Amino acid sequence: MTRAFSWLLSLGALAALALLLGVFAWQSGPVWQHEGAGYVTGGKWFFRQHEFGALPMICGSVVVALVALIMAAPLGLGAAVFIAEYLPRRSRLAVKMLVELLAGVPSVVYGLLGILLLRDWVYETFERFDPLSGDTLLTAGILLAVMVLPTVVTLADDALRAVPATQRRAARALGLTRAEAIWSVCLPQARRGIGAALLLSLGRALGETIAVFLVVGRQDNNLPVQLLGAGQTLTSKLGGSETNIAYGDPLHWGAMMGLGLLLLLLTGAVTLLGSLKGRRDA
Amino acid sequence: MKPLFTLALSLAVVGSAFGGTLKINGSTTVNLPVAEAAEILRAEQKMDIQVDTQGGSSGGISMLGDGQVQVGMISKRLSDDDRKKYPQVAFKETHIGEDAVALIVSKDVWDNGVHTLTKVQAKDIYEGKVTNWKELGGAKSQRIAFFNKEPGRGTWEVFVHWLYGSPKAAPQVSFPEVGGNEETRNKVASTRGALSQLSSSWADGKRVFALALVGNDGKPVEPTEANIATHQYPMSRPLFVLTNGEPAGEAKTLVEFLLGERGQELVKKHGYLPLKALKQ
Repeated sequence: MTRAFSWLLSLGALAALALLLGVFAWQSGPVWQHEGAGYVTGGKWFFRQHEFGALPMICGSVVVALVALIMAAPLGLGAAVFIAEYLPRRSRLAVKMLVELLAGVPSVVYGLLGILLLRDWVYETFERFDPLSGDTLLTAGILLAVMVLPTVVTLADDALRAVPATQRRAARALGLTRAEAIWSVCLPQARRGIGAALLLSLGRALGETIAVFLVVGRQDNNLPVQLLGAGQTLTSKLGGSETNIAYGDPLHWGAMMGLGLLLLLLTGAVTLLGSLKGRRDA
Repeated sequence: MKPLFTLALSLAVVGSAFGGTLKINGSTTVNLPVAEAAEILRAEQKMDIQVDTQGGSSGGISMLGDGQVQVGMISKRLSDDDRKKYPQVAFKETHIGEDAVALIVSKDVWDNGVHTLTKVQAKDIYEGKVTNWKELGGAKSQRIAFFNKEPGRGTWEVFVHWLYGSPKAAPQVSFPEVGGNEETRNKVASTRGALSQLSSSWADGKRVFALALVGNDGKPVEPTEANIATHQYPMSRPLFVLTNGEPAGEAKTLVEFLLGERGQELVKKHGYLPLKALKQ
């Protein structure tokens, strides 16, 4: 009975996902017919001329998310090692709870903090590179790094704690120092879980909308060649008012829905990969 | 817990079925007086009103066209294209006041000596032909950081209407974009060499400054109340609330309030021109 029920629900979840993909694919149909593969590889988005190329936005999303990960990964892993391996049990739980609390802060709050603190900081700090304003891909990347940091920390901590204590004891018995044991026993053993933590954080960074929207500059048709320029991501485009203009024009609407489809595929693939990686570890 | 949940659910269903909430969406410019009017009606008449500013004017039009809201707020005239998109909706504009779109600059640009702009100069900036304030009368070299209002915002439409005659005739450009009025003002105020389009009532003359526009006769015209009222300032624009057909029910209460003495007082309070200040 329970088994049948759980099968039913799993199938339901799968059907919902398929339906979601189906709706986006169907709604974006016109733009695929109009642009073909050029929709993904084209670099120009001029909606009044009915020219739709999403490449700058795809690249923008990926670049911003990677910047976030590159910054969050070392910090997050370091924090996770400290929490998992050095803190006594009781303070570990307290710290972990605090970190998870941070993960739950609404993203618009981070976005507003970004405007308040980060924009001007980036603008002043990198002044000699002459950015046109404080709204840059780098600003968005740093903000996202702060946002995904708790996710990295708590998932990597879980992965490290999953390494059996006997392994640590064996390593210490062989004469390894604590640091050596962490470096050559715990981290390698938790490698899959840590990889999963990073991928899931990447997925979160890719899908984040409002915080990025507020600081990325929202400049179309800029391939993200330099981090100190304004750019556009899939999410910041979708969050703007162009969706309202697109409504009623099947081709333009299809192009916006296509961005949704691309975003869904991108975050879906990364998150799925992360979950699979984590699963195989357990 | 469960009965409470059931109660909440049934309340929600009843609420949506009988349309207890008057929903309003649209321009951040028109929002100021309307939101305050809603506040008063909520307190005095116990009306249930929600005011939102998703997507600016075009958001107001599309959500009204879609039946998601009963009242739209727009800071530009409804175009034929807007009407064509929703053939089944009988859009009715109610004029509640007048505003102007100003070209605003940051303090350093103002201090650099740029106080006016001609139409040709504005075009050159928009098309990317001019990128330095020095070419526009600035004393020292300074890059122009132009923030373009998102297409679909009433402010943007009024701006390109002035430059090119219609939004359709405007060239497609790629500048960093800004949305609502607060965002525009803050970004311009905190960026060196910044320029953007903004409702003139938001140009405070302390953090951001409104440029005078030079007309064909070579005389600079500032977006002052007198110049807006006489339409001498080229980018003056009407503010509307929008309904599907003649306003009825609670929408009618709101519209009548806005047109009444207290409503017009609110229009004035937020820096726009009330109807009676306009010379017909």
